[in-house]
Amino acid sequence: MSLPALRAEGIAKHFDATLALDSVDFDVRPGEIHALVGENGAGKSTLIRILGGALRPDRGSIHVAGRLAHFASPHDAIAAGIVTIPQELRLVPALSIAENIALGDLPVRRFGPIAMVDRARMREEARAVLALLDFAPDPGRPVASLSFAERQLVAIARGLRRRCRVFILDEPTAALEKREIERLFCVLARMQVQGTAIIHITHRLDEVIAIADRATVLRDGRVAAVSRRGAFSVSDLVGAMTGGIADTEAPAPARAGAVLLAARLDGATTVELRGGEVIGLAGLLGSGAERMLHRLFGLHEPTVVEVRRRSRRFKHPGDAIAAGIGMVPGERGLGLVLDQSVRDNILLPNLDVVSRNGRLDRKAGDRLVAELMEFVDIRPRRPWLKARALSGGNQQKAILAKWLARAVAVLLLDEPTQGIDVAAKAQIHLLIRHFVERGNAALVKSSELGELAHLCGTVLAVRRDRIVATIDRAAGLDERRLRAEIGG
Amino acid sequence: MSYRSSLAGQIPLLTLLLLCAATALLTERFLSPLNLTNILVQSSIMAVIAMGMTFVIVGGGFDLSVGSTAALAGCVASMVMLDAGIAAGVIVGVFAGALVGVANGLIIAFLSVNPFITTLGTMVLVRGIVFLITGGAPVSGETGLPGAFVAFGSDRLFGVHYLVWIPALLLALLSFVLHATPYGRRVYATGGGREAAYLSGVRVRRVIASTYVWCGALAGVAGVMLAARLQSGQPTAGEFYELTAIAAVVLGGAALQGGEGTLYKSVIGVLIMIVLGNALNLLNVDSYWQRVAVGAVIIAAAAAERLRSRY
Repeated sequence: MSLPALRAEGIAKHFDATLALDSVDFDVRPGEIHALVGENGAGKSTLIRILGGALRPDRGSIHVAGRLAHFASPHDAIAAGIVTIPQELRLVPALSIAENIALGDLPVRRFGPIAMVDRARMREEARAVLALLDFAPDPGRPVASLSFAERQLVAIARGLRRRCRVFILDEPTAALEKREIERLFCVLARMQVQGTAIIHITHRLDEVIAIADRATVLRDGRVAAVSRRGAFSVSDLVGAMTGGIADTEAPAPARAGAVLLAARLDGATTVELRGGEVIGLAGLLGSGAERMLHRLFGLHEPTVVEVRRRSRRFKHPGDAIAAGIGMVPGERGLGLVLDQSVRDNILLPNLDVVSRNGRLDRKAGDRLVAELMEFVDIRPRRPWLKARALSGGNQQKAILAKWLARAVAVLLLDEPTQGIDVAAKAQIHLLIRHFVERGNAALVKSSELGELAHLCGTVLAVRRDRIVATIDRAAGLDERRLRAEIGG
Repeated sequence: MSYRSSLAGQIPLLTLLLLCAATALLTERFLSPLNLTNILVQSSIMAVIAMGMTFVIVGGGFDLSVGSTAALAGCVASMVMLDAGIAAGVIVGVFAGALVGVANGLIIAFLSVNPFITTLGTMVLVRGIVFLITGGAPVSGETGLPGAFVAFGSDRLFGVHYLVWIPALLLALLSFVLHATPYGRRVYATGGGREAAYLSGVRVRRVIASTYVWCGALAGVAGVMLAARLQSGQPTAGEFYELTAIAAVVLGGAALQGGEGTLYKSVIGVLIMIVLGNALNLLNVDSYWQRVAVGAVIIAAAAAERLRSRY
């Protein structure tokens, strides 16, 4: 048996009074894909930040290929061949794809003492490494012009370019489409054959089953379970992660109420949202599904929307909000002012509700915030905590709380459960269901087709800015059908 | 209680108290009534400007034009006053300041021009206008500005200079606006996360533009106060005020990326700057070295703030 490429023993880490990791053992062997799963706050990110040199452990040791290693910075870890692709991509938007890929290690041509960047070689190298990912953009394009998923490919390409012994991916597939995920997995398989050790952090348990040789489940800073390929199933993993229940409730039967909202989403088809309905929007990246959602919220350009049979013109999100519409955007940083408190964030769209004669009523605000934090179950229940300090699932609940406080009639949700853990996902699904059961309606865009099939009564398939199919639950709504309709 | 009221939030106040205590120990002249009064009067005009700057910085912006705007307001107020009386002069002066703010706000918020460049432009442009309308000479008429106006610049009410009452009243009023109204919360949200605020229904462009109008109008008030104190409209007045004001707001703990800052702490920042200058004067520190010291203090304060937020 070969020596582990990376071995961590007895790792412990505190943040203030919180114990993030409590003597965790973890190792990964050359040519192995080791999945790391766990709920938000279980300690996954802390562990990989320690392995990647971004944090120093309070206790414990790290061995690289059998030799004790001390990482003072990410630079040391990279030098030891440990490359991390973080969840928040560290790319420079203004620089070109090629420059981003080569960043930190630019190819140079030397003229005596003068070093010049070898642009031709840089572009060539970028093209070659991107070709591994079946991605062929012009390497001179600025990263700012790429979509999020494309940026992720660039970040992965940057990691691939380096000689690496251990490749750590923190939720690489959260924003990717099926095809891109498959492409990524092919690349991982190739790296595996070459002897690279891969640590794969994910929330998608089906991925663990599909590609991992081993899986470690973290819970509350401890290793809750380690199992080998063939010995784990999705329900085992969920059980180990939560020690509890998951979202098993069957979708509510659609009791269609009055039409709350009607609009020509793609300029041709009129879509009606009735009370009690969850409608899904399915489409590949760039299909225009996201744009349709935005238009209903008055983003991009003025849109005419019929609200409760009365025609209104949305020029600005304020108009949509006034008409009783709320939006949960695809990036949580857009849903919350991260450096402000949970309280301020929940109150932001509700300032008119909690003010009397132009003056904020602090007590009314406190009451409203306390009520909603309880209702959507934001943990910890500390209204003055900065939104940034919440886990992804709790941030998403805080965004929902903003709109529930207003008693909006329609919610527009863009990737509502992207990158959050199983338990929080179940809670958010439940909140959406209860919301529509009270006679409201929701429109959900998700790249996770299983989620749409699970949550929605009707799903609209979008291709090239057009609604190409409407699939009802009665007519057989499942993931395979959806994939066929959107062309995935 | 919120995290805002924790000890770390009181660093500006503690710094000021420490500075005063140290100076009082080093020289007994510091605590003399004359010197303390002098500090308050010197701080008053800068405090008004720093309050306006706080609106802009909390909203995520930046305003370099306040010094020129103050000079414009002082000169315009003096010119109008000589013909149409004190009240008209004061109103037109403040209005002129607000007008510069409107221009800054429209250009920055609706044309999306960088605030640094925009206000650098208006700083130079407005100064040019001041020289054009005054011919470069101080405005005081043949017999000087009206007596009541000049008296306002030096007289006291209940033992405190009128010039000091103005920032005190403005601080109370503006704190209400920025901290207790929906509008104020929208300014903070816009500065803290413009996109998130927009998606929450905040008309971010209007909010951003409004902060420059506050800043311009308050620079106008400061300009009128300065004219009263100098007994004339001085076209060269207010140079480098923008730098002192920005430094004071940062000393008060505001973040230049927006979304953070408190009016009263900005005023404390002004007091720190003025007390520091006063202390160095009383201790007979060479005026060239004074500049070196003040610059170093600004950088040290900002660096300390960064270190604190890292842990």
